[in-house]
Amino acid sequence: MSVRYGILALLAEAPSHGYQLKSAFERRTGSQWLLNIGQVYTTIQRLEQKGLVESIAPDGAADDDRRDYRITDAGRAELESWFENPVVLEEPSRDELTIKVLLATAAGSVDLTSLLQRQRRASVEQLQAYTQRKATADPERDVAFLILLDALIFRTEAEIRWLDACDARLRALGLIEGEGVR
Amino acid sequence: MTVSTTGSTAASTMVRLEGAARWFGAGHTRVVALHPTSLEVKAGELLAVMGPSGSGKTTLLSLVGGLDKPSEGKVVVDGKDVGAMKSRDLAILRRRTVGYVFQDLNLLAGLTAAENVAIPLELDGRAVGAARHAALDALGSVGLGDLASRFPDDLSGGEQQRVAIARALVGGRPILLADEPTGALDSMTGESVMRLLRRHCDGGGTAILVTHDAAHAAWAHRVVFLRDGRIVDEARPASATAA
Repeated sequence: MSVRYGILALLAEAPSHGYQLKSAFERRTGSQWLLNIGQVYTTIQRLEQKGLVESIAPDGAADDDRRDYRITDAGRAELESWFENPVVLEEPSRDELTIKVLLATAAGSVDLTSLLQRQRRASVEQLQAYTQRKATADPERDVAFLILLDALIFRTEAEIRWLDACDARLRALGLIEGEGVR
Repeated sequence: MTVSTTGSTAASTMVRLEGAARWFGAGHTRVVALHPTSLEVKAGELLAVMGPSGSGKTTLLSLVGGLDKPSEGKVVVDGKDVGAMKSRDLAILRRRTVGYVFQDLNLLAGLTAAENVAIPLELDGRAVGAARHAALDALGSVGLGDLASRFPDDLSGGEQQRVAIARALVGGRPILLADEPTGALDSMTGESVMRLLRRHCDGGGTAILVTHDAAHAAWAHRVVFLRDGRIVDEARPASATAA
């Protein structure tokens, strides 16, 4: 989904060929989502079939690697609509951790205190790793990377707050012992 | 590194709890705030303490800061046994060795930023001129050199918290204790406060941060988790190597 709109957004600025699109997409999204070139071409093909982009070079005039593409009017309309509309996640998304905690709570035989704490520790360590990278990033040059890191940090933080909330809720019900020891 | 050490090998231990416990009341009514706890914090280390309300975080901080004494065990700060100190010596410890930053800033509204920062030194008997000079240095180190003559009300929340940090560190106090210092700040401002704490420690200082905010705790080299008055776990980044 995001690759498709990423390519549309890049082509809206200037016609490009596949390798240019791949490297520009990676650079703008903080170099954390690496694309393989096959994925780029597959996406371009789909966009072309839908009439959202078109090849500039006449057929056979250049090999695929060098062929430039440009966005069509329909492509621009599609892109504008994407930017204008909020992203709504399908709820509830299936999430392994949520399912694990729910099943452990239902099972009754799992040590919930330890389960929650092990997860909390892992999440805090993950946060520490993100934060180390943030600490060394250049606030002016690495804007894309920092915005991406903030997204990862806040998601992880939300997960920890949720773990704390689970802990408090289960404790209030007596499903976790008051004096928690590992 | 500004910390005096006797050895030349590893960083020196600035804070050590040896089975330190704190309880209130006796017999059936005894309430344990902190079970016997052992912990070491070295020079150059930023330690975060996380845990729910009532888990003993603030008790632990009060013991290290000499605001309270252990019921049992030892608390050693910069080589001195806090539990055995007289109140006069504890006051000296707080003025020269340990600085405190609270969520509630406690800046005096009638004094400028520089005057607020100079207070600990003046209380310690330093001449007003020398105290003022050190205060300006401290404000400069938290990026507020230009705002030294502002009153707290004319500063943003983040700036006020930086003044409080300057006041906690003024005169070269090596140990900074912070109790939810980012609690009232928005995330970007809170982050700038955390960068400051981290810089203090990367420069050889020591800090203990109590927080329930994981994103801010993650600036620490090490995070300990308190639960019901006990340290139950510890986190460090995967890439960290043993000191």
